[in-house]
Amino acid sequence: MNAATFGLARQFASNASDLSDLLRHTVVEVRSGESGSGTGIVWGGSGLVVTNAHCAPRDVPLEVSEPTGRWRGARVIAYHPRHDLALLAAPSARGPLLELRDANSLRAGELVFAHGHPLGVRDALAMGVVHAVTRDTRTNQPRWIVADVRLAPGNSGGPLVDVDGRLVGINSMVVNGLGVAVPSDLVRHFVERALAQRAA
Amino acid sequence: MSPTKSGGALAELSSQLASAVETAGNSVVAIHARRRIPSSGIVWRDGVIVSASHTVRKDEEIEITLPSGESATATVAGRDAATDLVALRVKGAKSHVASRGGADALRVGSLVLAVGRPGRNVSASFGIVSAVGEGWRTWQGARVDRVLRLDVAIYDGFSGGPLVDASGAVLGVNNSALARGTPMALPASAVDRVLDELLERGHVRRAFIGVAVHPVALSAAVVKQHQLPHEAALVVMSVAENAPAEKAGVSVGDVLVEANGQPLRRPTDLLDALSSVREGDSLALKLLRGGSLKSVSVAPADRGGHE
Repeated sequence: MNAATFGLARQFASNASDLSDLLRHTVVEVRSGESGSGTGIVWGGSGLVVTNAHCAPRDVPLEVSEPTGRWRGARVIAYHPRHDLALLAAPSARGPLLELRDANSLRAGELVFAHGHPLGVRDALAMGVVHAVTRDTRTNQPRWIVADVRLAPGNSGGPLVDVDGRLVGINSMVVNGLGVAVPSDLVRHFVERALAQRAA
Repeated sequence: MSPTKSGGALAELSSQLASAVETAGNSVVAIHARRRIPSSGIVWRDGVIVSASHTVRKDEEIEITLPSGESATATVAGRDAATDLVALRVKGAKSHVASRGGADALRVGSLVLAVGRPGRNVSASFGIVSAVGEGWRTWQGARVDRVLRLDVAIYDGFSGGPLVDASGAVLGVNNSALARGTPMALPASAVDRVLDELLERGHVRRAFIGVAVHPVALSAAVVKQHQLPHEAALVVMSVAENAPAEKAGVSVGDVLVEANGQPLRRPTDLLDALSSVREGDSLALKLLRGGSLKSVSVAPADRGGHE
């Protein structure tokens, strides 16, 4: 065993922590009422946040975290109950929008990372592989991304990214121990439609 | 923005893992032989599929989904309850035979993938080899020279699928039922040995002589008198009717000291001695009866077919 033996592992670890640093600037914590909390993805520089619908229940005051640690109010602009998505207006939340990754190009076995605030632990990173991409039986388009990654309550609404930090999907639930995420393309459609309806 | 996009170690590993799954997936089939979800199987040899026996609930007319998406029909060629392996024969279906990895990759900490096809598409999970057990005995008495305990999730439908290394080469067969839900894999070399027997006679030969034994301590005087190398032996508690031991004249109360020159200290020593007896050969027992040392030769019978 020499130092070179571990070179790859060390490089790997350093790449993974770079990824964690990137992601920490693109998420907020979403708090609803007294109980639930989840993760939200900052959607560009215009004060928008995407999260799960189940993290932003109707008629409950919402707050999102600022990088400074302060909490600011937010409100829901649109819901997509079928895909468990909610779009929030949170003027304080600004950050870079992650590049999106088309779920059609995902291969089983590829590394993916989930970032979020599981059980209230801030900015936790979990690694796993793509387990499968399930498709809509009608349209044959990606419906859910299933990943062998350990998630906990609080990861909901957070990003699932590939090794290049591209947004693969939004972590939404755990089924049989597997993480299940909404493909980022569906998220983009949802945001675009919600904004177009508001403009109209 | 993607600051890590630089072809780093992470990206390279990720792409290799995905390629490994793709490679291995070409030899992984779905087996529809139980209710609810299908299980996975590996094209181990030309026209021969290996899977986990507990997931294959019928013996004939088994529907298989091949990696190409086509269907084929298979029949069970043999099962081994002790290692929970089943061999299936498929007719007329052309599939890649799985490529095999070197056994030296089986070190604790090695990165491994579990690949399954619980349906049409291939799926995967990822982790490390968490322990390599030497000389493991399954709860039904089969001796496996090595077994791998995994820090890899074996999801529903993954039993019977391959454990693969980072290049997609098959290291073993995954099974979550071998040890009460603990993710385990049977190494490819062990699978080969079982498979040879299954294809030849439909079951794995398990030699038995038909005695129940219990360990006993020998007195110092006896050890000295017969110049025995050890102070423990096995006393015969019962002898099965018409069993090889009875035919050879072994009776209740005999104290078994040696089998084929190997000392018998624990009941498992006798099982080990039996499993190394080749077909047609006999077991040379040394036993104490009435204070004198006797030699008895027993020809073991095969119990494998009706467990």
